[in-house]
Amino acid sequence: MLAAYAQYWRLNLLTLFEYRANSIMWFAFALVYHAVALGALYVTMHQFPSMNGWTFREMLLLYALWMTGHELHNALFFQVVGVPELVREGGFDRFLVRPLDTLFQVLIVPQQLLPDGLLLALVTLGIAMPFSGLRITPLLLFFVALVVAGGALIDLGISLAIATISFWVVRVDTLRWAVMSLEQDFTRYPISIYARGVRVVLAFILPFAFMNYFPATFLLSKQETGLGLNPVVGLLTPAIGVAWSAISYAFWRIGLRHYQGTGS
Amino acid sequence: MPIAAILPYWEFAKKAFAREVTYRFEVFTSVGSLVLRIYLLRCLWTALYAQNAAPLNLPLHAMITYATVALLMSLVLEIDGTRLIREKLREGTIATDLMKPISLPFYFFSDGAGRTLLYGVLVVPTLLCALLLVHIDVPAPRALGVFALSFLIAYCVNFLLNFCMNAIAFWTLETFALQLIVRWVSDLLSGQIIPLTLFPGVVGRLLFALPFAAIYSTPLLIYVGIVSPRQWGTALAVQLLWLAAFSLLAGAIWRAASRRIVVQGG
Repeated sequence: MLAAYAQYWRLNLLTLFEYRANSIMWFAFALVYHAVALGALYVTMHQFPSMNGWTFREMLLLYALWMTGHELHNALFFQVVGVPELVREGGFDRFLVRPLDTLFQVLIVPQQLLPDGLLLALVTLGIAMPFSGLRITPLLLFFVALVVAGGALIDLGISLAIATISFWVVRVDTLRWAVMSLEQDFTRYPISIYARGVRVVLAFILPFAFMNYFPATFLLSKQETGLGLNPVVGLLTPAIGVAWSAISYAFWRIGLRHYQGTGS
Repeated sequence: MPIAAILPYWEFAKKAFAREVTYRFEVFTSVGSLVLRIYLLRCLWTALYAQNAAPLNLPLHAMITYATVALLMSLVLEIDGTRLIREKLREGTIATDLMKPISLPFYFFSDGAGRTLLYGVLVVPTLLCALLLVHIDVPAPRALGVFALSFLIAYCVNFLLNFCMNAIAFWTLETFALQLIVRWVSDLLSGQIIPLTLFPGVVGRLLFALPFAAIYSTPLLIYVGIVSPRQWGTALAVQLLWLAAFSLLAGAIWRAASRRIVVQGG
């Protein structure tokens, strides 16, 4: 299994060099995408320095924590996002007849995926941490690494759950898109700006707030004003990530037993 | 141009409209996506205005109006009528298209316009949903008319910008990433995400001098009244100037490109 995984990364990196110009353009795109998002935030907060008590510097940390967790998910687990398409087109059935774990096989489909987004995210995080006034200590780095890993697992839990739903409901694009939109746009700001229902969803149902908001609140020693929780809940991110992806994996296993294919 | 010459393009537009209707699902998604984003912008600006001093000429209701109308405009402006160029180049069908007795740029324009029409219709349900979430100011009828005119020019400038970007595919074949880059940058620099008046100092003044401002910023600032009736003439003239410049550029690119067809396998 390990050998197969090593081979998968070798293929990925080979395609990187094969399509060098294209890879560079996509890297430039990722750079511009995040620069535009942060640029807009900077200009806005230049005019309006406080968002429910958060400054631009603190919100940069919010952004960087989410970005790194999300990019770690994309680097390791992105193929899970493609499962609904595989199911629809019938390609998924191939995995079921091979003698390896189905999820593992999904994860090693070569896709020209490169960890460039992750690299960019790590640089952003490296800037955001001192910039937001955090004291860089080994303990902090250890905790941040756990938050990032937990964040990637939260993300995995959600993409795995959506992939599993596609075993029953072939068209899950609406659902996937709604969740993606909630994740990408709504995680940029402290959850206290939303209505209570949205805060509860972001904290407990699709726990994106644990990818960045709760850990950042704890790290920056801020008051948690969204739900009035003790900031210490920010320490729970890795546990939530493990629990969330474990539940999704169990759901995935149930889904596999019911899988019937679309007949295509 | 006689009517008979326009007819085929009218048919192209109708065909594009019908084709898009069959992708109802994507249509539904784009409306839903906008409604979520309208909710987000309401939360965002309400929180920001609650705790900070408001900018002089842009109170909260004007800001929410600006951002909501910008999103509604994006429903129409984000349609890239010319991405067909790229597809046709990749598949090689551009060669036969060039032999047909039609003007390809006008074909692309009418195809894009047909798709735009559908998304234009979608503004209505989106607007109704939006009104449940936010209050949108409505300016005086004359301002509304000038806004419509300015929006029309913006549409054409945006079309030509897309056209130029897609025509680059004649030289490099793969331009999608480049195009997305330009799209994101232009969203920020055109005032779609935040009003250009919020950009500080020199940067702000520079942005008004760039062509991107002709796409979102000019119509929107007319709508919310920051561009006053006395300045309407100048604002529209600047937009028309950019329209003329882009027409010339697009014409030049197209002439150079059609001489230089390399078909990629196909």
